[in-house]
Parts: sequence; structure tokens; C-alpha cells
Amino acid sequence: MPLDNSSYSLALLRLDGRRWNELRRLSAQISTQAAADGSSYLEMGNTKIICTVDGPAEGRRGGAGGSEAQSGEAQVEVNINIAGFSGVERKKRTRGDKRTTEMQLVIKEAFASNLFTRLYPHSTIYISLHVLNQDGSLLAACLNATTLALIDAGIPMSDYIVACTAGSTSSYSANDENADPLLDLNGLEEQELPFLTVGTVGATEEVCVLAMETRVQIQRLEGMLAVGIDGCKQVKRILDGVVRAHGKEVLKKTL
Amino acid sequence: MREIQLSLNKTQKIRLQRALEKLESLSSKVNANASVTIADSIPVSYEDGVLKGHGTLDLNGEVVATVCGVVERVNKLVYVRTLRARYKPEVGDIVVGRVSEVAPKRWRLDINYSQNAVLMLSSMNLPDGIQRRRTALDELNMRSIFEEDDVICAEVRGLQHDGLHLQARSQKYGKLERGQLLTVPPYLVKRRKQHFHHLEQYGVDLILGCNGFIWVGEHVEAKDDMVEDQVNKPKSQNIKSNSNSGTLEEQERTYTPIGTRQNICRIANAVRVSATLGFNITAEVIMETVDLSSSLKLDIHEMLGSEFCVLVAEGEAERRSINKKG
Repeated sequence: MPLDNSSYSLALLRLDGRRWNELRRLSAQISTQAAADGSSYLEMGNTKIICTVDGPAEGRRGGAGGSEAQSGEAQVEVNINIAGFSGVERKKRTRGDKRTTEMQLVIKEAFASNLFTRLYPHSTIYISLHVLNQDGSLLAACLNATTLALIDAGIPMSDYIVACTAGSTSSYSANDENADPLLDLNGLEEQELPFLTVGTVGATEEVCVLAMETRVQIQRLEGMLAVGIDGCKQVKRILDGVVRAHGKEVLKKTL
Repeated sequence: MREIQLSLNKTQKIRLQRALEKLESLSSKVNANASVTIADSIPVSYEDGVLKGHGTLDLNGEVVATVCGVVERVNKLVYVRTLRARYKPEVGDIVVGRVSEVAPKRWRLDINYSQNAVLMLSSMNLPDGIQRRRTALDELNMRSIFEEDDVICAEVRGLQHDGLHLQARSQKYGKLERGQLLTVPPYLVKRRKQHFHHLEQYGVDLILGCNGFIWVGEHVEAKDDMVEDQVNKPKSQNIKSNSNSGTLEEQERTYTPIGTRQNICRIANAVRVSATLGFNITAEVIMETVDLSSSLKLDIHEMLGSEFCVLVAEGEAERRSINKKG
């Protein structure tokens, strides 16, 4: 690990004191906003995200894909807004930012295939994500927050989509034979190490999202993927707890 | 509707907690046991045969929930009722909606459903009250009946091939004026015999739309005053332009006394408090909240404070425990 070559190999502790297979603290809330049909707030370590879901609602007129909106199933539209103050440096992101656009597309594709969109013809589901703070695992956090908001909106889906990241302890160039896989990278680790984002359908091993922007040696990939899928199972357990606690809260008030 | 953010102090927090705990102990245990989240399998006995309803899915021979909610069983039908979702219309529901578009021969209404609802010109009573074929002239004058952004009360007629149709074939339906529209989560409004409430002591109409749109407005007598209009004024006169021109007489007719306005606000705030706490909204619950607020001599704006909220929660717990015993 280039950041602190010595300490990891000695104590097998990462920069923030975690071991290789530990997640950061993951906490979430459901139904945080009044006006939206569904909403959630999710923290994955220091990555903080607000998600709101609007719809399924009649598609806005004159929007993109006017003919698409008349099809027999609901359209999913995703909009990600990354706050200027969310990163280490204050950065103004333009609307057509390629990375954001790609994340939007990935989220859209993942949920469009998982939701039962056929039940809502001629309508659109608007998902809007606001990134308040970013510290690694941005795409994974977005996917998790969206899942919770969609559950709150009461839109049927086959299973949760849960995601987390997995990396490898040494960079591509360092020809390290015994590189360990790592789970749930934070911002600093993401800058230095190769990593991938893996999303699964529920606690199964069915991968529905797999994104990787860095180079890694092929023999390390399998280990990373296995660790990532295992992480997804842990995430699913946590999200499940959040949903159940929320459901109990709502049910006790209504008769 | 959580636009009221409660900032409770410690005692209030504990009192609210206690009231909610009491509610929890009173709520039927069946609910708690039958709650499922996505991908939970629902136990069914296949010998009897089973009909899978909304919110369920057959996955490798198992019935699995696809939404988070409560399992309901009606004979062989198994379905999951979602905790919170958009409104799902049923035939005969009374809904309140807002006109989003005036289209040829129809209005499109936003009723918190996944599509806009359609109210055909032919499925409502004309202002002159005469039954006849709708002519092209009627179609041209549609805006004099309802305009964009008008609030309307109507009944669900059914799902046709081109969307959800509404009808308004009675004097009690139609445009709602001089009042407030509130939106609450639809699950808080249960379908009942009576959705129109005339609160006589306040001179206020309360309409609990099944879609979670609630209307609180000045009471209007359901009479054919439109017919008089038509007699007094020639047909070319546009009703809308009349009300805008603001003759003195007209103003007097549409004037709402301040007392009634305050009553409207008080009742609206009672609805807001109930919705914030997540209690089912019925006329009785709202009236009790209003009575509580006036017996405490609270100002209207004080009703949205945290203290009143806690009091309402305690009152509700009390009420339900009495109902349980009685």
C-alpha cells in the first residue's frame, strides 16, 4: 500500500484502523423528506447522500424521450447533484460532467431492470440524488440510498440492490505477489489503489452492477470480487434492519 | 407530510415516546407479525391453492414480497399492502384533484396517482344543469367551468384504455373554492361511507379525498345557483370573467368572514398535526384535535408547536385505549 507501506504489512490495519474485511459505519434513515414520494438519507463512512424519489408520475411534457414516455412501462430518470463543498477541494461540476452522467446511467440501468416498471405504464420515476459529502464509494452509496428511497416510495422490486466497493492493497505497477483484497475503500484509498464497485441483487451472488475505472492485475480480480460480494451481503443486512425498524415505527401509529 | 419539524425538549420526547408505546401495545398484534419487507417469503399453504395479488412474486415456488408492507389475506388471495405509496384508485373513491391540463373534451387532473386522471366533459353535469349532448360550444367554454390549477372534487369512475376516468355527476362534486388544500400520505385516509363532512358549528366543509388530498373550505350549499346565474345573465357571459370583474355584489357573495377563515386554518392545522404524527385522518379525530386546541385557548399558529403535538399523541392513545375497552 503506497500510502503507508510499512504499517499495513506489519499490523494489517488500514489508514483508518480497519482490517481488510471491515465496512465503515453505515447508517441510514427513511422518509426524511415530506414532499417526495420516497426519500432516504444514507451515510457510508463520511460519504453522505440524500435521495428523493418522485413518482411514478405522469411524464413531464417536452422532456427527453417523448415517445419513450408513452411506452407500456415506467421510465426511470436519475439525476445526481454533487454539491460543490462535498469534496476536498471546492469544485464546480458542470451539468454534463462525464463521470456524473455515467453514474446516472449505471443507476438507471440497474434499477430499470430490477423495478417492476410494467405496473406503471405511461409514467416516470424520478430519482434525484444529492451528494453532501464524498469520501469514497460514491456510486455504491448512491445505489444503496436509491434502494431505500424506492422502498419508501412503495415501488415494487424483486429484491434490494446493494452495493459496496472492493480494492486491492497494492497498485497495478507494484508487482506485489501477496496483495490482499480490501473492502469498502475510503476516499484516500480510492485515490491510490485499484478498486471496483460491485452491486448485487439482495444477499444473493447475482451481480447487477460492476464498475471499475482503474487497472488491476487479472489474478487479483477474483479475490476483489469475492470480497465485494461478501460486503454486499453485510450491507444488505444493515439496510434490512433500517427498513424493518422504519416499518415498525409506521405501523404502530396506524391501526 | 412532515413539513413540521418537531423540536422536542426532553420531557416532551419522553411523553411522546410513552404515548407511542401505548399506541403500539394497543395496535393489533396481527399487524406486527404480518409485516414484511422486500424479498421476504410469505408462508402459504399450497394445498388450498393461492392467488398472488399485488406486491407478491413467485420465485422458485415460493411467494415472495416485492414491497415493504403488511400481508393481507382474503380467502385464497394473498397480497401485500404497502406502508406508503402513491394513491391507488378504486372505483367509487372520492378524490380531490388539481387540474393540470385542459385538453379536447376533457380535463386532466393530478390526483397523486401514477398517471393524470381524466375528467371528460361528458361525464360531468353542465353548469346550466340541463342534460343534453355536449356541443362544440361547450367544448370551447370548458375553461369557464374549470381552469388550470383549479381544485376539483370528483369520483373515480374506472380504468379505461386511455387512463383513469373520473366523473362528477352531482352537485356535491365540482370546483372547490375559498379554502385550503392539504396533501397527506394517502395511507392515512381510509375509505369510508362518508367523505364529505359539513362541520356546522364552524361553517366549514371538510372533504377527505381518498388520494390524500384534503380540502378544508367555507361551507357552500349544494344548490343550483348556476341555474340562477344562467337566467340572470345571457349565455355569452363567461362565469369566470364575472368573478374576476369583481362587481360589488359579486364580492359580497364570495366574501368569507374572518371567523370562518380562522376556523378553516384551525381545522387545517389539526389535519397537519395528525399527518405529522402519522395518525389516520378521520373527521372525528380532527374534530377532537380542534376541540382540544380551542379548549386550551391556543392560537392557530401554536397548534403546530411541539407541545400541542405531544398532547394530541397522548389524547389519541387515550382515545384508542377507551375504544379498546368499550
